[in-house]
Amino acid sequence: MTSGALLELRSLTGGYGEITVVEDISLELEAGKVTCITGRNGVGKTTLARLITGSLKPSAGIITLFGHDVTGLPAHEHRSAGLGYAPQEGIVFDGLTVKENLTLHQTDRSLSRYSGLFGMFPRLKERHGQRAGTLSGGEKKILSFCRALAEDTSVVILDEPTEGVQPENIALMAKSIIEAKKLGRSFVIIEQNLTLVEAVADDALLVDHGRCVYSTTNRATLRRDLSARMQI
Amino acid sequence: MRGVSVIPIVALVAVPFVWDSFTAYQLGLYLLYGMVAQGIALCWGRAGFLPLGQALFFGLGAYIAGAGLRSDPGWLLILPFFALAIIVPALFAWLIGALVFDRQIGSGPYFSLITLALSMLGFQLANSMDWLTGGFNGLTGISGLPGIDTYEHLYFVIIAAVAVVTILLGYLLRSPFGQLLEAVRDNEERLQFFGFKTSLLKASAFAISGALAGLSGALYAPHQGIVTPQAVGFLLSAELVIWTAVGGRFGLLGPIVGAVLIGFLASGLRDMFQYWEVVVALVFIGVVLYLPGGIGSLFSDLLKRLGFNLSAVGPASRSVKLNMRDLPETPVVEFDDVAVTMGQVAILRGLSLSIDEGGIHCIIGPNGAGKTSALNVLTGKLPLTSGRILLRQKPITSIRPFRAARMGIGRKFQVPSIFPSLSVRQNLDLAIWSNRLRPEAMLSMIPYSWSPELLDDLEGRFGFLAKSGMAAGSLSVGQRQMLDFAMTLLAEPDIVLLDEPCAGLSTPETAMMIDAIAALAKKTGATFVIIEHDMQVVERLSDHVYVMHQGRLLVSGTMEQVRADKEVQRVYSGGTK
Amino acid sequence: MELIATYGLNFLYAAATLGLIVLGLAVVFGLLGVMNMAHGEFVALGAYSALIVQQAGLPFVFAVPLALGFCAVIGWLVEWSIIRHLYRRPFDTLLATWGLAILMRKGIEVAFGREYKSIDQALPGTVNLLGVDYPAYRILLMALIAALFILLFVWYQRSNTGSRIKAMVQNPELAAAVGIDTARLSRYTFIFGVSSAGFAGVLLSPLVRVEPYMGLDYLLSSFFILVVGGLGTLEGIMIGSGVIGGTDAIISAVFDKTAGYMGVLVISILFLWLRPDGIYARR
Repeated sequence: MTSGALLELRSLTGGYGEITVVEDISLELEAGKVTCITGRNGVGKTTLARLITGSLKPSAGIITLFGHDVTGLPAHEHRSAGLGYAPQEGIVFDGLTVKENLTLHQTDRSLSRYSGLFGMFPRLKERHGQRAGTLSGGEKKILSFCRALAEDTSVVILDEPTEGVQPENIALMAKSIIEAKKLGRSFVIIEQNLTLVEAVADDALLVDHGRCVYSTTNRATLRRDLSARMQI
Repeated sequence: MRGVSVIPIVALVAVPFVWDSFTAYQLGLYLLYGMVAQGIALCWGRAGFLPLGQALFFGLGAYIAGAGLRSDPGWLLILPFFALAIIVPALFAWLIGALVFDRQIGSGPYFSLITLALSMLGFQLANSMDWLTGGFNGLTGISGLPGIDTYEHLYFVIIAAVAVVTILLGYLLRSPFGQLLEAVRDNEERLQFFGFKTSLLKASAFAISGALAGLSGALYAPHQGIVTPQAVGFLLSAELVIWTAVGGRFGLLGPIVGAVLIGFLASGLRDMFQYWEVVVALVFIGVVLYLPGGIGSLFSDLLKRLGFNLSAVGPASRSVKLNMRDLPETPVVEFDDVAVTMGQVAILRGLSLSIDEGGIHCIIGPNGAGKTSALNVLTGKLPLTSGRILLRQKPITSIRPFRAARMGIGRKFQVPSIFPSLSVRQNLDLAIWSNRLRPEAMLSMIPYSWSPELLDDLEGRFGFLAKSGMAAGSLSVGQRQMLDFAMTLLAEPDIVLLDEPCAGLSTPETAMMIDAIAALAKKTGATFVIIEHDMQVVERLSDHVYVMHQGRLLVSGTMEQVRADKEVQRVYSGGTK
Repeated sequence: MELIATYGLNFLYAAATLGLIVLGLAVVFGLLGVMNMAHGEFVALGAYSALIVQQAGLPFVFAVPLALGFCAVIGWLVEWSIIRHLYRRPFDTLLATWGLAILMRKGIEVAFGREYKSIDQALPGTVNLLGVDYPAYRILLMALIAALFILLFVWYQRSNTGSRIKAMVQNPELAAAVGIDTARLSRYTFIFGVSSAGFAGVLLSPLVRVEPYMGLDYLLSSFFILVVGGLGTLEGIMIGSGVIGGTDAIISAVFDKTAGYMGVLVISILFLWLRPDGIYARR
């Protein structure tokens, strides 16, 4: 508890079985900030997301949320501590309706808190009575994004939110993230689409082979710096 | 390796000389059960479906052989009966498998429950058909095999049978057929998109297990001298599965170990105390919880640790060069007013488009426009509600995926679909065999050395493909994407359908993929149809662009034409990434 | 007319009791993917609870809390020690619970002996219904089962817990990520399933023979009912119970008991083959 960080990782390490995929990653996320994590494929970004959210147990390191050590606790306890998550794969409940997907986490089960998001993504509203499994890949991504955004968590982890999403919807996603930032919510976004990264990130980490190889807090040159280093 | 495998055979042969003939009698029985269990392991551990009624085939073999042996005939008459005792269960199993697997994919419990119900039905029939089976009292008066009158002698026959079966099975597991079964277990749908009729592969494995059970049953009849309905029933079926599980379903010898070990454990305990089944049950639960590979996996781990390489035969070198297939002509694909409705939801509403020239065609459109669904109806993954689809002027309405593949349609899904527990090399093998491996070649080792022209090119582009020993499941999403792409092309389809080939790829990887697609489209001359959101990719690659919106074709033409179109600008602003 | 009424009531009775027995198996298999081969033994546990209550000289209804308590405690232990390690490995659950079934059977044998026991009729006498004198206890039973199914159905469709169970079944990792304690939810679901088996055992105990191996009979017919009805829906259970109960009753009446049993097997095989998602499939 050295800072006012909402989420703090200290030397987080983990993987599957004997294979270490993520090694010694540290970061501090303050209120109203967005940290983007980028890097080539297969460098452990999704594993990192699963570690942060408790879907996977870390083998070493510490995760604190609001100053509480949550390392090793199951995923639902990370969630109740205020950490939302939109994963990369298996992103919606296929057999539930769009509405059920969106309201599962609430007690009131109404769609009222989605009015803003429905304005941006009218397709979701049109299809709210339909089973989520009938949506296309991109629509599922949007559904998952809206669900994570509408949950009242202070920190949201988004894993590749733009995969398969058309460009103008990506722009809308960026817009809603910026709005949420203004309300003091923070994001960790794992993303290869540098357009989104450039639009929303306050700082960025470049990950390679499970380690952080570069980090920047300079918004102005962030995109150029990252893309130059990703070519290597 | 060879030396190691001789030891158990010598040990088995020595049993009657070291112990008494009763031990040999017991061991013979357990070995017979073990042989049935080997068949179960082939289906369950290798191909991924669990037969729960294996006693049906065992009992069938026993009744047939028993009927032959009742008249105490000579060898000349016995052999046809023995042949029948193997062939009839095998055909029966094949028929069940072909009928059931043809209708359902995967390894769900339905097949298992069907075999269970069949074995219960068999028990009832055996019980009630007195005139044929002797009913409840069983088929009695079965004499021994001619000239083999003692338990020791029959015991040697059994050992010989087990040894031959084990050697044959070992070869089978190493052959392409064995690898195909493994692929079925891993990802049956993908294998179908390589043109394999997986239901027949599974039915064949099941038939082999039926033949083994029949052979065991045929030897069981002279061994016991009586065959009762219990030999067909549910309880024996369940016990056979238990022995397989305890011994180990992944190996060759594990099932035999399981049957012999539990057999002796039970017979020893039965004399000692009343509730011996409790001990067997506890052992059983313990194995399921802590030793999913069974006792057999302990031995194979031990051998590995002692330095024996169990897979002594390394991968064959790719020495047989295969030339690229010539494309006869450009295949024409035509969607004619195609509609697909799922429940209340209209996914495609009158899609008409035709792809009548080669090159690279891109389908774009907003999320939910029906792009993936269009490919799904074409490859038989979604049923057509109305309209028709023509390929080379022939309607291909509602074809099955393996047929689509055999007609030259190759497909890469949005989410990479590979065989995760197989190595990269084995994944590539399967793709190379696609549309090339004839049934008779499935038992030959030559297909392992096939080396198609395209492989060098692909390995040059995607270096990790040469790291052949790695399990494909341990690859990253991007590498899986590339492996899936490579596999799709290795099958050398005339029409290559790529669903978001660059999804999840980083910028440099995307560039690499674009280069690969462009170069390979040129090299193979195949028609490429690509669904893509990334306009950079579309711009670089496409000769022709189709814009879909709300389940219909909106516009088609070159990139410039499409971009200039007012309709397109309205629904789809074609922004840049 | 009277004959038709009698057959109709018998059919309803058979279907209702089958539905009650299969409910727990459906919950455990349909929702958790656990093929609980010890399901019948939990039914037996319920029946033996009734025996304990009877031997203690207490009223029959006391057997219900006793059975629920028994099954819940054993269910909790079993879930904790065996089942939770095997979720998403259906074949392994089948094997492990097969072992468990042997243990439970032997446990009952040790405690109560192998011989048949009988439970006194809790509500003797008959009621005139549709012109037929029908045993009062059977009618009460049918009413209870109907009420239970309706309540459960409404609860599962409407309640948040119902949606959460559905969510967990479809995508456990995501369910945990949206804040559902999947481990606890699975445990309670399992305990509910086996406790409902115990409940069924109590209710049926006065009508059946009570012996250590009684569970085996229920197990297999339960699986076939599930298959015919389709997994995971209460409507499916009712339809499946009707089809299996009806087939058995009709063929047994025309031929004999063995033919009825074989008829059930044949129907089940046909369903498993041709309609593996059951009659009541959503797809």
